[in-house]
Order: sequence, then C-alpha cells, then structure tokens
Amino acid sequence: MADPAVASGGSLNAGGRSGSGKAASSPAENYHLARRRTLQVVVSALLTECGFESAEKAAVESLTEMMQSYLNEIGRCAKAYCEHTARSVPTLSDVVVTLVEMGFNVDTLPVYAKRSQRMVITAPPVTNPPVAPKALTAGQKRTHPAHIPSHFPEFPDPHTYIKTPTFREPVSDYQVVREKAASQRRDVERALTRFMAKTGETQSLFKDDITAFPLIAARPCVIPYLSALLPSELELQTLEETDSSEQDDQTDSENTAGNIITDDPGADKENSMLPPSGVVPSVKASEENMIDNPYLRPVKKPKVRRKK
Amino acid sequence: MNRKKDKGFESPRPFKLTHQAVCINNINFQRKSVIGYVELTIFPTVVNLNRIKLNSKQCRIYRVRVNELEAPFNYNDPTLEVCHHESKQRNLNYFSSAYTAAVSAVDPDAGHGELVIKVPSELWKQGDDLKVLKVYIEFSLDQPKGGLHFVVPDVEGSMAERGAHVFSFGYQNSTRFWFPCVDSYSELCTWKLEFTVDASMVAVSCGDLVETIYTHDMRKKTFHYVLPIPTAAPNISLAVGPFEILVDPYMHEVTHFCLPQLLPLLKHSMSFLHEIFEFYEEILTCRYPYSCFKTVFVDEAYVQVSSYASMSIFSTNLLHSAMIIDQTPLTRRCLAQALAQQFFGCFISRMSWADEWVLKGISGYIYGLYLKKTFGVNEYRHWIKEELDKIVDYELKMGGVLLHPTFSGGKEKDNPTPHLHFSIKHPHTLSWEYYKMFQCKAHLVMRLIENRISMEFMLQVFNKLLSLASTASSQKYQSHMWSQMLVSTHGFLKSISNVSGKDIGPLIKQWVDQSAVVKFFGSFAFNRKRNVLELEIRQDYTSSGTQKYVGPIKVTVQELDGSFNHTLQIEENSLKHDIPCHSKSRRNKKKKIPLMNGEEVDMDLSAMDADSPLLWIRIDPDMSILRKVEFEQADFMWQYQLRFERDVVAQEEAISALEKFPTPASRMALTDILEHEQCFYKVRMQACFCLAKIANAMVSTWQGPPAMKSLFTRMFCCKSCPNIVKTNNFINFQSYFLQKTMPVAMALLRDVQNLCPKDVLNFILDLIKYNDNRKNKFSDNYYRADLIDALTNSLTPAISINNEVRTVDNLNADVRLILEEITRFLNMEKLLPSFRNTITVSCLRAIRQLQKNGHIPSDPSLFMSYAEYGHFVDVRVAALEAVVDYTRVERSSAELQWLLNMVQNDPAHYVRHKILGMLAKNPPFTKATDSALCNEALVDQLWKLMNSGTSHDWRLRCDAVNLYYTLFGLTRPSCLPLPELGLVLNLKEKKAVLNPIIKPELGVSAVIDTPASIGIHGIGMGYSTPDPIASGVCGVGQPPQGLKRKADTPLGSPPEPGQILQQQDEEGSRGRYKIRFNTMEEEDIDMETVHDSQAFIHHHLNLLERPSTPGKEPPSVEQSLLSMPATPVPSFSKETTSSSSKHGGEHGHHHHHHHHEHKKKKKKHKHKHKHKHKHESKDKEKDRERDNSHAYSNSPASGRSLRSPSLSD
Repeated sequence: MADPAVASGGSLNAGGRSGSGKAASSPAENYHLARRRTLQVVVSALLTECGFESAEKAAVESLTEMMQSYLNEIGRCAKAYCEHTARSVPTLSDVVVTLVEMGFNVDTLPVYAKRSQRMVITAPPVTNPPVAPKALTAGQKRTHPAHIPSHFPEFPDPHTYIKTPTFREPVSDYQVVREKAASQRRDVERALTRFMAKTGETQSLFKDDITAFPLIAARPCVIPYLSALLPSELELQTLEETDSSEQDDQTDSENTAGNIITDDPGADKENSMLPPSGVVPSVKASEENMIDNPYLRPVKKPKVRRKK
Repeated sequence: MNRKKDKGFESPRPFKLTHQAVCINNINFQRKSVIGYVELTIFPTVVNLNRIKLNSKQCRIYRVRVNELEAPFNYNDPTLEVCHHESKQRNLNYFSSAYTAAVSAVDPDAGHGELVIKVPSELWKQGDDLKVLKVYIEFSLDQPKGGLHFVVPDVEGSMAERGAHVFSFGYQNSTRFWFPCVDSYSELCTWKLEFTVDASMVAVSCGDLVETIYTHDMRKKTFHYVLPIPTAAPNISLAVGPFEILVDPYMHEVTHFCLPQLLPLLKHSMSFLHEIFEFYEEILTCRYPYSCFKTVFVDEAYVQVSSYASMSIFSTNLLHSAMIIDQTPLTRRCLAQALAQQFFGCFISRMSWADEWVLKGISGYIYGLYLKKTFGVNEYRHWIKEELDKIVDYELKMGGVLLHPTFSGGKEKDNPTPHLHFSIKHPHTLSWEYYKMFQCKAHLVMRLIENRISMEFMLQVFNKLLSLASTASSQKYQSHMWSQMLVSTHGFLKSISNVSGKDIGPLIKQWVDQSAVVKFFGSFAFNRKRNVLELEIRQDYTSSGTQKYVGPIKVTVQELDGSFNHTLQIEENSLKHDIPCHSKSRRNKKKKIPLMNGEEVDMDLSAMDADSPLLWIRIDPDMSILRKVEFEQADFMWQYQLRFERDVVAQEEAISALEKFPTPASRMALTDILEHEQCFYKVRMQACFCLAKIANAMVSTWQGPPAMKSLFTRMFCCKSCPNIVKTNNFINFQSYFLQKTMPVAMALLRDVQNLCPKDVLNFILDLIKYNDNRKNKFSDNYYRADLIDALTNSLTPAISINNEVRTVDNLNADVRLILEEITRFLNMEKLLPSFRNTITVSCLRAIRQLQKNGHIPSDPSLFMSYAEYGHFVDVRVAALEAVVDYTRVERSSAELQWLLNMVQNDPAHYVRHKILGMLAKNPPFTKATDSALCNEALVDQLWKLMNSGTSHDWRLRCDAVNLYYTLFGLTRPSCLPLPELGLVLNLKEKKAVLNPIIKPELGVSAVIDTPASIGIHGIGMGYSTPDPIASGVCGVGQPPQGLKRKADTPLGSPPEPGQILQQQDEEGSRGRYKIRFNTMEEEDIDMETVHDSQAFIHHHLNLLERPSTPGKEPPSVEQSLLSMPATPVPSFSKETTSSSSKHGGEHGHHHHHHHHEHKKKKKKHKHKHKHKHKHESKDKEKDRERDNSHAYSNSPASGRSLRSPSLSD
C-alpha cells in the first residue's frame, strides 16, 4: 500500500536533481544514452583485444570520452569538407581527407578491419529518434512545397505556430466521470486522513498491529456543540453554490416541508395559512426601526439615590 | 364518586403567599456560586401563625427576618440521606417506603418544608389582626449540584467570551434547589425578580423585563423582572449567559436567546414559531396569557424542553441550519410542546399531584392537534398509534400506569400500584420512564374524551379553563381568587359535563382512576349459510397491566360491496358476535369495490376465498380504547388491507401481521406499497423492514435479485449506469427518507449460510463510494450515517476457530472493506464534523458491533475516550452505550466502576441520567442471573448512590432506584451474606420496615407520618411531625380518600383533624370555618368522626406548635374574618350551586342527613379533645424543651437528623 507513496517520493527527488525537463526530453535523452552505452561496449572490447583483464570504470569512461570526441571530430570535419564543396551529404572522400588531415594512416584501415582477433559486438538496440509527444500534435505536419529543395530544413512542428493544446479532450462518459470523481475523492480523503493519523495521536482497533486502520484520536473539545451544530465551511460553500438567494431557499424548503410530510387535505389548509403570514414580514419591514423589545432598550445609568 | 364533592382549593398551609421577590445580586461563574435573598409576602390564614414552613434545598441560609425581626429557623432535609440507621438494610422495599416518607415529610403540597421559620413572638401577639408578614431570607449557593447548572468552558478569555452560562433546571417542582420558596404548583403569587450579572451577560427570567440598570461601577447590570400573573414557584426559572438576542420578526414581544455564534441557526430554527402561536391561539380562542415569551437555548440541558412562566429553556442541540432535514420536524415538535405547556402547565397550574394528568393530558392533546395540522393526518395517526403501542407495551410489561392516584390512607395495602417498586404518590419518587408513559397515557386519554364529547366541546372546555384563569389572574389584590388558575381533576370533569352535557364517568373510571390497558384477541369465522360473520373477541384481563373492558367497540368490515362499521357491546369475556354481511360472495366480479373513504377501486380478487365476501376486518379502528388487539385473519386479507385500506394505522398493522406470512403474495403486496408514491412514507419505510424479514424467511425459494435492490436501483440510481447512485437531491423528502431506509433494511437480508449476501454488501459499499452531495442543498449527514448503519446491519458473527485472538491478518475480506469505510468516515469526521456528529455516532455503533461479532478484539478503550466530557452529547451517549454493552458482555467490573464513577462525577446531568438508564435497560446482570459482578461492594455502592449520592437530582435518584431494582430486585440482594442470626434479623428487618411507619401507640400505619420518625425527629421540635394544619387540609384536598376511608377503615389515617378540631374548640372559629369548608361539609365531618383516634396524636403533636393561649383566640378569628374580603363566599357558592345542580337529585337528602350528624359529632369531639389536650400538653412540653436544647445547635444547612429516642421506640 505504501509503495506508490515511496515511488512518487523517489520521483520527486529525481525531479529535484535533474530539473524539470525529464518528462519532455526523455526520449531524446534515451537516444543519446543508448549511443554512449554502445561506445562504452566498443571501448571495452578494444581493451579486451589489447589483453586487458579488467579496467577501472573511470579509465573506461575516459577512453570512451576520448573515442567520442575523436569520432565527433571526424564527423564535424567531414561535414565541413562536404559543405565546402557545396554538398549536403558527406562522401567517402570527405572522410578520407578528414582522416588524412587528422594524421591517420588510411592504408592501415583495411588490414585492421580484417584482423583475426576482432570482436563482434551486437548492434545497438534500435531506438527511434524522439517524436513529438502526441498531446502536442495540432494540424498536419507540412512538407516542403515543390519549389523548396528537400535539403532545406523541415518546417517546425505545427503546434509551435498553430496552437499548443494544453488539455485533453474531457471524457464525457457519465459512468467514468462518476467513477473518477468517486475514486478521486476517496483517494484524497484517504491520503488526508492517513496524513493526519501519521502526524497526530492515533487510536487503534487492533492490539497486534497498531498501524492498521489508524483512527485519529478522539480529543475532547471545549465547546463541543459549536462544531457539531454549525455547518462546516465546505457545506456552506456548497449551499452558496447550489442556490443564489437565501430567500428562495427559505420559502422553498418551507413549502416542501408542508407538502411532503403531509399528504392529506390539511396540506391545503397549511398553504392557505401562508399568505397572511407572508404579509407580516412586509409590515415588519416598515416597522423594523421601531421594534420595542425590552432587551433592545439601552441600559440605564444608575440613579444616584439608588441603593445597591 | 367521592370526587364529586371536591370543591374549591384549600391551601395546606396556614398562610397564603401573595408575592415573592427574588434578588440574586451576585453570580460567580468562577466559583459557581450565587448569593441573594428572597422576600415572601404572606397573609396568615390562622391566628397566631408561629411557624412558617418553606422549601429550600442545598441553599446556605444566612439569616431570616420576619417583618424586620430576626427569626430563628431550622433547616432539615430528610431526603439528603434517606436511611440513616440499619446500615445493614439493603432491600428496596425498605428504601422505597423510607424515601417516600422522606419526600412526604417535606412535601409542600402537604404544607411541609425543609425550612422551618419560627415567627418571632412579638409578631404573634401582633398577629392577632392577621397582618401581612414579610419573610426575608438571605441565602447563597455554592457549587450547586441541582437546581442551577453552570456551564463554564475551560478556555482563555472572559466568562462571556468563553460562552459560560447558567440556567435553572429540575424535574417537576425543584425550584427549592436554588432559592427558598413554597415549592408547590398550587401556591401562586406574583413575582419580582432581580438579577445582577456581568455587563456582558444577559439574565433571562420569567415575566416582563421592566428595566436594566448598570451598577455604580458600570461593570455589572441588574435586570428587573416583574411577573404580575400569579405563578407557582416551580414555574420560575432563570438563564444567564452571554446570549445573542433575536427579536422574533413576526412577533416583537417574543425574544429568542442563543449562545454566541449560533445566531444564524437560531434565526432559521425560530422562523416558524409564529405559526405555532397562531395555531394555539386560534384553537383555544384565547390569547397567549403572558405579555411576552422568551426562548433560551442552553448547552448541557437537563431535558430538551422545559417550560416556565413566559419562557422556555431548550437544549441548544435543537438548533439547526436550513440544510438539515431530519432535525427540522423534531425541533418544531419541541417548540410546539413547549408552547402548549405555556398554556397548560405554566399559566394554568394544578391543585395537586393527582391532577397532573389533566395538565399533561391537555398540553399533549393540543400538541397533537398541532401535529395533525402541520404534519398531516397521516403523521398524526401514526403518532397516536406509536404512542398507544408504547403505553400498551409498557403497561403489559411493567404493570399499570395510574393517571389519577388516590391515596386512601397510609396502609401499604392501599397502595394503588403494588406492582411498582416505587411510590407514585409524589412526582419525585417516580421512575422517569413511568413518568414519560404517564404523560403519554394522559394525552391519549384526552383524545378518548374528545372522541366521546367531540373536539368542539373539548376546545370549549379548554377555553373555559383559560378564561376563568385569566379573569382570576387579573385580580391583583384578591389572591384567594387565584385558585381559579389551578386545575383539578374534578374541576376539569365538571367543565366537561357542563359544556357537553355528557357523562364521561365510565370512561374516566376506566382510564383515569384505574391503571392498565385492555388486551383483545380476535378471530372470526364466516358462516356461509347465514351469510354472517361470527366474530369472537376474547380478553386477557388477568395478566399484569391488563384490565377488563366492558362497553362498546367499533368493528369495521370491508366487504365486496363496501365498508361497514358495526358497534358491538363487549359485555363479558369471550363473547361471540354475529355480524350480518351485506354482500353475497362474488356476485359482481367486474364491479369496483367501494372503500370506506368513498373511493372505488378495482381489485384482483383471485386471492380471496371464493365463498366469503370479506376482504378484511378491523377491530377498534379509531383507537378509541387503550388496547392491544391481536387479530387473526388470513394472509390475503392482510394483503388486501395493506394495499387498499387508506388508513395508515391499518396499513401499519397489516405490515406487522404480514411478517408471519412469508409468501410471494406478501412480497408482492409489500413491494407494491414500497413503490406506491401516494402511500405515507413511514408506512413505506416500515414495509422495507418487513420485506427484509419475509425475504429471509423465504430464502430458499426467493427468486430474483435481493429484495429491494432493483427497486432502489430504479428509484435512485442512474438510468445509464444502474450500479451508480444519482447525485444526491433531497428536495423530495419522502424519497429522501426512503432512500435512507432501504439500504438499512436491505443489509438485514441473509443468504442460506445466514450471511449478508455479497452483492448486497457490495451494493452498499458502492452507495458509499458514489455518494455525491455536491449539488445538494441539504446536508447528507443523516444519509451517510444510515449507510454506516447499513454496514453495521450487514455484520454477522465471525467464524471463530478455537477462540483465537483477533488480528489484522485473519480479518475477513468483507469486514476489511467495511472497516476501511468506517475508519475513513470516523477520521473524516474529525476534519469535517457532521451535524450533531451523526456519523461518529453511527461509526461507534458499528465498531461495537464488529467487536461483538468477534471480528475485531473487544476493547472498550476507544469508547471510553469518546465518552469523556468534552465530546458532543450524542457521541458521548453512543460511546457510553457501547461501554454499557461491553460491561454486560464481558462482565467487566472495571468498566462498571468507571460508569458508576461517571454517574457520580460527570458535569452533564443528562449524561448521568442516561448512563443509569442504559445500565437498567442493558444490565450487566439481573436479579435472575448469577454474576461475579454482583457482590457486596457493588450493593453498598449503589445503595449509597440512591441513599445519599443523588439527593440533588430527583430524576437521577429514581434512576438509581430503577437500576437497583433491575439488578437486585425488591428484596435483599442475594449476594449479600446472610446476616448473623438470620431469622432474628429478618424479624428485625421487618420490624424496621414497620417501625417507622406504624406508630406503636396507635397501631395504625400511616405513611404520611413516617417522615417524622425517619428523618426529622429530634432535630426540630414540632417540625418532626406532619403539620396538623397541612395534613388536615391535605385530606380535604384529596377528598376521595376521606370518603373511602370512611367506608372501609375507620382508622384510616392521615388527614389530621387536629387543626380543625382545635378550631372547633374555639367559639369564634365557626364563621371562618364555614367559609373554608362550607362546600365540603360531608367529608369534613367524616374525617373528623373517623379520625377520632388519630386526633389523639395530631392533637398532641399539634400542641408543640400551638401556643397554649386559648383565651385569646376568639377575637383573633373575628379579625381574620374582617381582614379577609368577602369574595370567597360568592366564589364558593357558585361552585356549590353548579355542583348541586348536578348531584342535587341523588344527594340532596343525604347531604342534609350528614349535616346533622356532623353537628353531633362535633360536640363529642370537642369534649374529648379538651381532655386530651390537657393531658398531653404537659408531657409534650417536656419533650419540646429537650428537643429544643439541641435543635438549634445544628448548623442550619446540615441535613443531619438525630433520632429522638422518645418517639422511635
């Protein structure tokens, strides 16, 4: 039961460390990680070829880093040569020139490739390049029109210039909605009460396992009737939401009380009684400021001669 | 009957109270103390009034002055400790008689009191001219245990900020707990009330608030009230607190008060009070008698509703917001009850305890009329049936309830209710349950009277009583007229006969003068040849609580051709009645069938017996007899009755009968009713439970889904997804109540393994899960609480393998689900509490049920924490109920001790009362069972509790007595070791019982005299014996006794004629005597003659109180005559004529005869008495001196009483 909590806690920590981008860049990151892992395997294989039995992780890491830089440099140079000749895709000669430029003896390459102790490494797992999250699809991705050469960069994702949907289509199935509302409320309630139980004093129904079904301890309160009688804020809020005018509610509930509990001719009488009583408040309104009630009168000052 | 001769009111006191001032000038909330004084203005009605008896309990009295002269006084309360001696005595019989005696000894209705003030001798010389006496008493109360209740929340801030308040409370006449007074409903006077309270507080009391004045330091203010309408002390009350004030928007003379922060609730709850006012004023054709009305809502109320003159004190828990459905009708009912009691109970008071039934009856009856008008005829008839069932069940179980007890004498044999373990002679000795049933029966009997004389006449009678009273109340200076404001059984019955011209004597005799109810058994056969219904109605009148009924009874027969009423005469037991039928069986199959109300309906007649035209039969359909009817008719007849009879009572009767017929046809009938929207919702609710029962009985043959499930789905679930309940909308209250009830009933279903069916449980869990109140304008707290109750109902005992300890691991999967819901609900309640914490209450019950069924370990600690002071009272009671249940099941003495400890120490009186009530209802053991709990220590503890521990609260003491009775019975508890020399001691015991009651010198047992020997003797001098004046009049006040005594036992007892006799010694007394007794000569004479021997003691006791200066008396009497205005004569003569017009025919001659006799006997008496007088006076004077020597050495407030050796032997 506690697992989800732990898991979510873990993810919370991860989030804190790696910033916020995790969810969005996750496929791309995975792609790079996979490449790097392959490179690491390559380095390890080469080391084994050279007769190493084991290597420190840091050493392997450094070698991988060097290898990666080297390969990067080859790629960058080859691309530069290719673009220099106004092409967009490097050719073999571009690479050869690059290698030569970097001081590598190209002739040794075929021999090295055909060496007998060469280790075969499995191909890196095919990881698809990251795709835009589905939520962000908006409209059709446009291809280049005919007059634009295909080597020009593609159009950006349509959501960047049409619209970026930030919500999902609401589920309209009544049953699912109710189901969801119910379980959501239950989850919230459960989490809340568990939190309260964890942070405060509890009572238990079982002696062997005090943590099972923890009950928030009963605490006597000084004026118990207040909390028991006054509607909670939640209820008040609901009340405001459900009906706008209080007046409405008043007459409404009164009428229904009369009608529903009585189901005899007397109910009619009850209603016939209402008009006169309804008149009274209007009278009252006019008299409002002249109510003479002894409890509303000001308190008198003591008379001097008055004996206490 | 003898009642007929009872005329106007005779005060048991030798004085008339005309005015009382109460001034409380300090109320200290911190110390819970009160300081004040009272001043009573009294008119002596005898010459040489030398002793004034007043009521006062627990007050510390500092000084007493009579007309500015210091007066010695004596304060003794025999009820503080009922039994002093015989420490080994542990039998309830003994206690009960001693307790009754103690209560009698201070009974204001007999002229007694705890406080005896000796009028300074200077004044009795002067008293010859019967001048007004002003009795001034300074007193204080420190931490009162009864009478006044302080609620002081323990928080920071001033008392007003803390919501501290204080209010008066009590059961019946209990005003003596908070100020000295004549604590009798029959002693009326006008009032001036003054309360000085903190400036931030309001003091609400009876009468009109004349002014409010600051004290000189401006930190306090004084509320001055004047109550010009003569009112009895028990109807005076007070509430002080930082109340919020609401002037009623419809009636400006009505003011409502509530505790801080509750004003919005108060506004809503009081918004319809004016309708109740209008209703009562209209039906009684009489304005509300007081010039103002106040409602005060207080915390920790003693009872939900208590009415006092021009104000009522309610429990604050009655307040509710507009969102609450269930509480609304309950609160309205409480207000209606309170208001009915304003007319009958406060404004109109009673002459004696025996007349209480009239007041309770009338107020209950007009309250019923209000119910009928507001909630409808169905609700009213349902309520009447409920009340009738209640009283019938109680009387059959516990024995009869007697409305108008008459006590013909002290003899225990004459006890009208020997089946009870308490005396019904005083309200303060009654068990609470009995008193509730008494009220219930009283209003039912009023309804019977209405049936007999019609409602119109009934209301005329009430109007007459009220207008007489209001005329009398306006007579400011003629206090003798005020007795018109007192109602008596006799006066009430006379009004009835005057107004209606009908003789309701037999009815009164049957239900008022006699206890018990009627039990009928009915069965029938249809004689086809004669086309006659042979109805047999038998009675059981031998078992306890039953009586024989003779008289008319209505029988309604629904035949094919219509409904016919027949009135049969019940003459002797087991009588067969032949009722001719109107229709031949099955003539017109197609014809519609006419019902009683004129409706014509189609019926499917295939179910009925082809030979008989009878559809159903009802005995006493109008409930015009207090009875239980067990009627046998075929199942199809009950089904027809349920479906087609329009009376809700008939439908409910049919439902209970159908429980015994678990057939598909019954199922159909019940289901139809359930679905029938025109049907009264309470009938439909009852049908739910019946359906569950018959479904269980039919479990092996039941077809289809569990009972009610598809019905509920159809009514309350979504059309598109039938497993999900609609979001709550409680705008239709009928459906709301049905929606609440059905799951609770469904959870009672059981499958063949006697378990709750899985799909029912899941169904309920789904209801909880999908419950959605967001769109509802009403709170769903009661609905959710009912869903928890449904879960509770679904529980069945756990299968336990060799008593293993219950752990989380071996928890049943279903139970785990239930427990999870309960845990969540209970925890949520801490964060978002529901109205009246209904959900906590249901959860606690559920947890106890889980424990009891062995699913979780049985453990009271959770309940004990919820039972603590500081939780909402409903929660506490629910938790305590669980602890009580635990105590019984586990026979745990620790918990029992804990409970008893709470009974003694809890601040809330209601909770203490409730604990004892619950213990008596669900006792840890009974007299019939053996238990380790039953031991000497417990006996002693309980004995102490009722003997002295509960002296501050009559109700609690009676509760303790009840519990003692439940646990140990009437005799010595069996667990006590046999006393050494059992036989001798037994004898002693018997003697001990008799000793205080029977005066050996006389050989007459006289309960009234008991107090003397038990409590009071030795402390005061003359005080120890019943006041002769008082008792003498007491006899007059209850004349029936007088006559009865004459008939059977010449040595009868109490009404002590001492006073009367003495008056006769004196020449001049005659004139006055005539005024007092001219209308009741007969009894007077009888009493005197009859009590010759009694006179002996009375006389000699009397001497203590009488100054032996006979020579001075004649002139003083004449003075008295002069000082009394001549008004009484007309008033009495009016009474006389009206009564003679009634009884003149039969009694005229008789009357005359008696008169003669009277004179003769009087002479004789005189003679004897003079003699005795002389003889005894010497001895007594000696006694008196001796008593005197230590009487005043006692602290005035100490309840100690020493036993005077001179009289106890």
